[in-house]
Amino acid sequence: MLWIALHLPALSLESFAATLGTLRHALPLALLQGQRIAAANGVAQQLGVKPSLKRATALALAPQLRFGQADAARATQALRAVAHAALAYTPMVTLDHDAGLPCVLLEVRSSLRYFGGLPGLQQRLRTALAPLGHDVRLASAPTALGASLLARWRPGFEQGEHVTDLKALHERLDAVPVELLGPGRAHHEALQGMGLQCLGDLRWLPRAGLARRFGEALLTDLDRARGDAPDPREALVPEPRFEARVELFERADHSEQLLHGAQLLLAQLVAWAQAQHARVGGFVLAMRHEPRHRGDTNTPAHTELALALAEASNDAQHLQLLLRERLARLPLPAPTLSLRLRCEQLQRGAPPNGELFPTAASAQQGLLRLVERLQARLGPGRVQQPVPCADHRPERGTTWQPALPPVATARRGTPTAAAAQRLTRPVWLLPQPLALPEQQSRPLLDGRPLQLLAGPERIEAGWWDAAHAARDYFIAQAHDGALVWVYRQRLPQLEPAGEGWYLHGRFG
Amino acid sequence: MDSHPAATLLAAPETLHPALWRAHQLGRAREAAVRSGFEALDAQLPGGGWPRQALTELLLPHPGVGEMRLLAPALAGMAAAEPPAPRSVMLFDPPAPLCAAALAQLGVDAQRLIVVHGRDGAHGACHLLPSADLLWALEQALKSGQVGAVLAWLPLRLRADALRRLQLAAQSHDGPVFLLRDIEARVRPSPAALRLVLHSAGIDELSLRVLKRRGPALTQPLRLALPPVLAPLPRARAEAARLATAATARARLGPPAGQASLLSLAE
Repeated sequence: MLWIALHLPALSLESFAATLGTLRHALPLALLQGQRIAAANGVAQQLGVKPSLKRATALALAPQLRFGQADAARATQALRAVAHAALAYTPMVTLDHDAGLPCVLLEVRSSLRYFGGLPGLQQRLRTALAPLGHDVRLASAPTALGASLLARWRPGFEQGEHVTDLKALHERLDAVPVELLGPGRAHHEALQGMGLQCLGDLRWLPRAGLARRFGEALLTDLDRARGDAPDPREALVPEPRFEARVELFERADHSEQLLHGAQLLLAQLVAWAQAQHARVGGFVLAMRHEPRHRGDTNTPAHTELALALAEASNDAQHLQLLLRERLARLPLPAPTLSLRLRCEQLQRGAPPNGELFPTAASAQQGLLRLVERLQARLGPGRVQQPVPCADHRPERGTTWQPALPPVATARRGTPTAAAAQRLTRPVWLLPQPLALPEQQSRPLLDGRPLQLLAGPERIEAGWWDAAHAARDYFIAQAHDGALVWVYRQRLPQLEPAGEGWYLHGRFG
Repeated sequence: MDSHPAATLLAAPETLHPALWRAHQLGRAREAAVRSGFEALDAQLPGGGWPRQALTELLLPHPGVGEMRLLAPALAGMAAAEPPAPRSVMLFDPPAPLCAAALAQLGVDAQRLIVVHGRDGAHGACHLLPSADLLWALEQALKSGQVGAVLAWLPLRLRADALRRLQLAAQSHDGPVFLLRDIEARVRPSPAALRLVLHSAGIDELSLRVLKRRGPALTQPLRLALPPVLAPLPRARAEAARLATAATARARLGPPAGQASLLSLAE
């Protein structure tokens, strides 16, 4: 077995500051647990703020310090997102909630070859975790607990420790400080008092005495870390529905701020979908609003924005673009305090193959995305496609449907009919036939007589439905030479404006 | 010694760079242009067809002078089998609903058309100003580079920076972009690479004046025979009628012409 441990030293603080964007590196931030500092970011630490300081002391050191409350649920949600991202690489992923030192463990022996060995897999993991915006420390070892201990050890060691055989692991573990083991931390002072600094010191002591003094747990953990005792772990299974929420750092007044918060949720959503080898077919973003004043009942508490995709996608950037267009059009009744993202629409199955060179399929994909974006902003009814319909009445010969390029793909093979000898229908049809005045039984257009050139072509259809048409069509020439299509109503009772000439189209 | 490189450069400086041309020559397009389907027109267009990656402005007195029949061969070629794949044609704010049957007769595959309306119920409505949504959609379509050809009906009043934005967006669009505007726009400056004024010139004929192109000014308007609407027989009949009315008009105008000649004699 080979385990990779992902240790997230600043998970709690990062999950709090995630909605801040780039500001999080510039502002001094600290998390409060009760009245004491639980964590502080780099800027705050430079100002002298350290964990376990009192709130008042920290404020005296750095008056511009901004506080947040430590929230275990928020940290767990962030840790789960990391685990989901890791699930794309191996089915065996577990969480290690060792108080304050969160760790995600992956068993990767069986996936090593597919992902190009340990270095290749580490590279992929780092790339996959980048959108979540966490500081990650990696370590690998043949035992789960061993990997976890190595990942938490040596904070300055960026690349992490990577050992693949037990012998090398034993050497490394002997130097690991005892307080990194869970039970060791409980007995920290006693161990310190006895001069036991690292795991190697424990190993030389008689086991029976150690068990009597510090409990069985310490010995069991030591054996598990060294691979001498079995360490069964339960694999994490992603929930069937995704739900995550994020508290915005400041109340959001415009959509750009909302989008910033949603970005984090979308990254988590995509990680969750990828963990199940599925793609997102749609999601719902709920925004909780701030009431304008106490007892304000007019402002709705929530606004929900449902987004459905024409084709399921796992591209966080594409989802974000769609969301941006929708948010830009959505009127928000009040400033937003928090966001909640729900998703149940997953499309399982193999993802479409990627393309190395641009092909018809990739062009189709690009067009589909374009249409999807246009429809997200303008609405599906304004991005349309003509569909020919077998009806003699010209106004019914074309129906319109929301544009969907895949339909076109299906018909790609059919050769288009060659251009006909002669155009018999006008390209532009007027939405409503225009009644023309008449002079000496000749129709007038713009005050000038039309010259009838060809016709009549009789169209009589639709007696079976409400739109009965009985018309004689002529091709006529307007005074400037352009050709138009006019008709004469044969049965006067059929047209609201009565008998006479109508302009129905222009030969564009 | 006579074939000194500097000497050839001085004799033909336009060989230096494809963007260079001399005032009496037609400009050359970096990319092969899209054939318009009319040889007389191709001969007068720089690159031998509709330019890619640049705006083409068509100015017409009113929709329906034959603009679709002018563009149809290029659009049909685009949507048919041009390598690597058939590509879509996008229409923005067309002035009236399209007739699928007529499109099929022109050889354009209706399945490959996507029509975008900037406003609700935009069919046939004439707007003074373009909607912001429409300009946005147009720019997105051009920038995406996934569309084969783009036709946009833009109103007369258009901010100069909007056109310039479109021209910049068009540079990433591998295909022709046609902006169809009212003829009044001919006095307004435009960054379009090619500007043409279209007029109807009789039955199934189109008169086309080049307002701007990369090349020398063209003084004579071009007359193009469009795909016919009339069968040969009615057409011949209409021509004969036209000649007859012209002759009667000339006969009626005879005396004034005689007076003019007398006046000139008197002088």
